[in-house]
Amino acid sequence: MDANIIIKLKNVNFYYGDNRALTDITMNYRKNKVTALIGPSGCGKSTLLRLLNRMNDLIDGTRVEGEILYEDKNIYSPDLDPVEIRRKIGMVFQKPNPFPKTIYNNIAYGPKLNKVSSGNLDELVEQSLKQAVLWDEVKDILNQSAMNLSGGQQQRLCIARALAMKPDILLMDEPTSALDPISTAKIEELVEELKKIYTIIIVTHNMQQAARISDETAFFYLGNLIEYNKTDKIFTKPDVKQTEDYITGRFG
Amino acid sequence: MQDSQANTMKWRYFQQSLFFALFRAAALIITLALGGIIFYIIFHGISAISWDFITKHPTHSMTKGGIMPAILGTLYLTVGAISVGLPLGVASAIYLTEYAKQGRMIRLIRVGINCLAGVPSVVFGLFGLAFFVILFKFGSSILAGSLTLGFLILPTIIGASEEALKAVPQTFREASLALGVSKWQTIYRIVLPNALPGILTGSILGIGRAAGETAPIMFTAAAFFTSKLPSSIFDEVMALPYHIYVLATAGTNIEETRPIQYGTVLVLVALVLGINMVAILMRAYMRRNKRW
Repeated sequence: MDANIIIKLKNVNFYYGDNRALTDITMNYRKNKVTALIGPSGCGKSTLLRLLNRMNDLIDGTRVEGEILYEDKNIYSPDLDPVEIRRKIGMVFQKPNPFPKTIYNNIAYGPKLNKVSSGNLDELVEQSLKQAVLWDEVKDILNQSAMNLSGGQQQRLCIARALAMKPDILLMDEPTSALDPISTAKIEELVEELKKIYTIIIVTHNMQQAARISDETAFFYLGNLIEYNKTDKIFTKPDVKQTEDYITGRFG
Repeated sequence: MQDSQANTMKWRYFQQSLFFALFRAAALIITLALGGIIFYIIFHGISAISWDFITKHPTHSMTKGGIMPAILGTLYLTVGAISVGLPLGVASAIYLTEYAKQGRMIRLIRVGINCLAGVPSVVFGLFGLAFFVILFKFGSSILAGSLTLGFLILPTIIGASEEALKAVPQTFREASLALGVSKWQTIYRIVLPNALPGILTGSILGIGRAAGETAPIMFTAAAFFTSKLPSSIFDEVMALPYHIYVLATAGTNIEETRPIQYGTVLVLVALVLGINMVAILMRAYMRRNKRW
């Protein structure tokens, strides 16, 4: 396997009951890059994202075919514990979902239960909040409820919470769709910063966002991977007509 | 044309005020009924209440003296019933909502629980007699009574707990699982704490029922009269509801004991309210900082 490739999908099919949501997806994700998954609603991009950390396991009646290799191991092989995988592959959701706990405890929750932090928990909390560029805003109110923060702050808290687990990969499922433009800009800057350390796979409905922050872009339509290439290429000279129609807003 | 439109408007406003008046009346009637009952009990019972009444044993074939053993007995039975019903009920609710694969089997279990809620309390009493008192040889005791009452309030607690667990947003579970936290840790650390206020509401209803029921303890725990207080969970106890029943129906001096009956009723109502109040305060304490 190419050293730059961190996740490899081979002929992946995914079913909700009898409905096929993803058809024969084969693609590689590259290390320390931002990959954007785009496409109209219902195209399967969020489903694909949730396959990568086995969140779809939570839904009854789903089925996966094919292989998803992470560090050369199939994450769907029966002897791999999904809990183990989720420690290495973190996730940020569409709507900010902090726990109804203090800011400090939101961050400390994962590391404490997983006993990942070898050093000082306080330091880890500070470091994670700094990485998510939230530290300066909350350093004096760490013991207040996270529910009192604004939506944009909550989302950065959720990012910090995921980072505290020291994952390899960060999955982001439309992380800015519930946020105002200023908060969105902050998160986009953050992603730019984070890709130095992490591999980021982001689902977005926002074309400009995909163009701005991603290195590679994959376009999905009706559960099929239509086109996957460097973001510059996709947004300037896509190979497939469907991709061009979508990004220029002719359908979607 | 204008006129008919104005008329329809008038008619609609009339309809609206009519229905609102009806709803208001319904709410008022309930408040009045409750107020009436409580006033009646206090009016007749307050004369019997004294320090001796709540701290002394009954004397003169229960026509004089206090009802302390019955207060204590009801307290024991209620605490016992909750100790049985709450863990069992919450555990079942967790299984049903968080772990079980939804399907025919789960539907069947739910139907069973709902049927259990509809079973008359005297049937629980007979079940307790056959099962705990005779088969398990617990005798008529606090243990047998608590178990019987515990099963009686089980459907209430399971129902309320299930609702409370379902009300915890799915996004909390997802957020926790996505951090590589196990399912049980997620339930224990995130779901349960957030469901606790709702679970307590169910327990409050259960407490009220457990403290007030007569039939289930008649054959399993309650004594007509005991001269000594219970020394273990295998002893019989006097209990307030049963004491009221006895005074009102079985004594030879029913008229003479009338004030004591009302006094006992007043104490029972106060006791149930008191226990509820503790649970309500606990719930309020847990609810602060909880909003999503």
